[in-house]
Amino acid sequence: MFFAILNGLSVGAAVFLVAAGLTFVFGILRVMNFAHGHFFMIGAYIAFSIIGQQSDSLTTYLLASLVAGVVVAILGVITDFTVLRRLRHVDHAYVMIATFALLMVASGVSKLIWGQNSYSISPPTGFGEGFAMGDVFVSSFSAFVFVAGVLIFLLLDLGIHRSWFGKVLQGVASDSWMAGQLGINVPLLYTGAVVLAFFLAGFAGGILLPNQGLSPGLALSYLLHAFVAVIIGGLGNIRGAFFASLLMGVVESVSLVVLPNFPGLSIYVVMVAFLLWRPQGLFGQEGHA
Amino acid sequence: MNAVSGTRTALAIAAGALLLATLPAWTTPAIVFLVGLVLIDSIFALSWNLLFGFTGLTTFGHAAFFAFGSYATGVALKMQAPIHFLLLLVVVALLGALFSALVGAVVLRRTAGIALAILTMALGEILHIIIGYSNVLGREDGISGIPRPVIDLLVAKVDLQAGNSYYWFLCLVCSLVAGALCWLTFGRFGRVLRSIQQDAERTAFLGMNVARYRLASFTIAGGVAALAGALYAPWVQTITPELSDTFRSAQPMLNALLGGAQSFWGPVVGTAVFAVVNFSMRTLPGLAELVVGVILLIIILVAPTGLMGLLGKLAWRMPGKLSPRRALGKLPRCRKKAIP
Repeated sequence: MFFAILNGLSVGAAVFLVAAGLTFVFGILRVMNFAHGHFFMIGAYIAFSIIGQQSDSLTTYLLASLVAGVVVAILGVITDFTVLRRLRHVDHAYVMIATFALLMVASGVSKLIWGQNSYSISPPTGFGEGFAMGDVFVSSFSAFVFVAGVLIFLLLDLGIHRSWFGKVLQGVASDSWMAGQLGINVPLLYTGAVVLAFFLAGFAGGILLPNQGLSPGLALSYLLHAFVAVIIGGLGNIRGAFFASLLMGVVESVSLVVLPNFPGLSIYVVMVAFLLWRPQGLFGQEGHA
Repeated sequence: MNAVSGTRTALAIAAGALLLATLPAWTTPAIVFLVGLVLIDSIFALSWNLLFGFTGLTTFGHAAFFAFGSYATGVALKMQAPIHFLLLLVVVALLGALFSALVGAVVLRRTAGIALAILTMALGEILHIIIGYSNVLGREDGISGIPRPVIDLLVAKVDLQAGNSYYWFLCLVCSLVAGALCWLTFGRFGRVLRSIQQDAERTAFLGMNVARYRLASFTIAGGVAALAGALYAPWVQTITPELSDTFRSAQPMLNALLGGAQSFWGPVVGTAVFAVVNFSMRTLPGLAELVVGVILLIIILVAPTGLMGLLGKLAWRMPGKLSPRRALGKLPRCRKKAIP
């Protein structure tokens, strides 16, 4: 059971890496990006093209993740200029469906480029086998994923609440018209937020590459988990998404031990219960979503 | 009321009916099969569009009701349940409506658009997972070899197994359902729904019980989707859990938007066009998705009213007609007679 909880924390951190960009872009633009999971997957494929089945050192692995992040961020710029910018003043339903169309485009492109096979990737050789914690064995890669998740969370959280850029972003999010009046270049900031979110997606793709097999189904499974985390955490709330991701990871991992017959079901049950109990999410404010 | 356009609509419907009814005489069985699928998907898309286009509710899990109907019918037929097929269809539709009403009662309490979208999406996935792990429902393999039933009409027995009789049966039932939905949409009930879509607060202010109308719309849409699923199972004869997944839920959206969500018949047009696109690219899995995605993006960016909207605009360009903006404003453009 203790093992299940530790494992769940690592799974949760992995989900957070995907959910972070999703909730971030929602917080600023109020756009629920259905294609986020697929851009995450494209990031994973790019990193895979660079390092192959197994990377020889930790540095190439991290560099490949960075490259994946940058490439996906460039895709983000293109997406923003061709699609999102034109839909700023359109009904939410249409934007959601537009991102769904993006999802299909991204899925089609990745199938055309990388095919439909699934690959399994092992962690880079830099990692040791793992270590014992009490009487439980922890693989060092899942420990690394957990640390990466926490680091990204701290960086984002500090960035949003402490830095100048973060404060401006918050201002734009709460009243874009007023921010524009104060001489802030709102469209540019929107693009910046999209780029950052896409970078996070691509980077997460690279980081989580050895975590699971690589196949066209990767995107949707992560997307749904990330959605659940974002909803439970409160839409647009990074802190909420972080704790919700960890909670979900633990719930799923523990329910695998307790209820092995229906893997994957528990998180949805948790989400439905949560939405009915606290529709604004873990840390959400009334009227925020 | 515009008599010319009324006659034209009637002519178009008659021509379409003739085309559909005589189809097996002049095409291959494969095409007949595909057209049957289009008929089923059309009413599935119409039922989704009752929510999206006419009530203003965006749901991402409509396939759950379709899969519910498919599996209920599939299991009943497979086990040779002693029930009249027509009665079975009615029962499945009613059960689907009941299921939908229960779901709606829970999810519609929080109609904040995005939460609704994701709750319904989760519903589809939950059903997908449950079916995938249920032994009775054939796990991931689904149920195959579903027999087509024999209908006892008191005076004569119609064997849907034989020849093209199930196809004609589909034509008949789908047209009836579409007609009923059309009648509902343009009647008093539909007008209340449209006013809710345009401004829920103002509608509530006029004394309408918005929550109840939304729930009713959700229930009807779920029931019709279940009926579409019920027709689907014996037509394809093999059903799998993918019927409930997110891509399946996206299908009616794509169809409705391509055809035009503001127009009642838009989803039908969209379904037909999509079937042609998919059929011509059936051998290229990645490319088909790419093309469909790009088409959908272009529609949303360039012509959010879909093909029917474009057609409508072209029609209005012809001389001697009022400009649509002056005549209709932003109202749905499908029925001109609603405006004096």
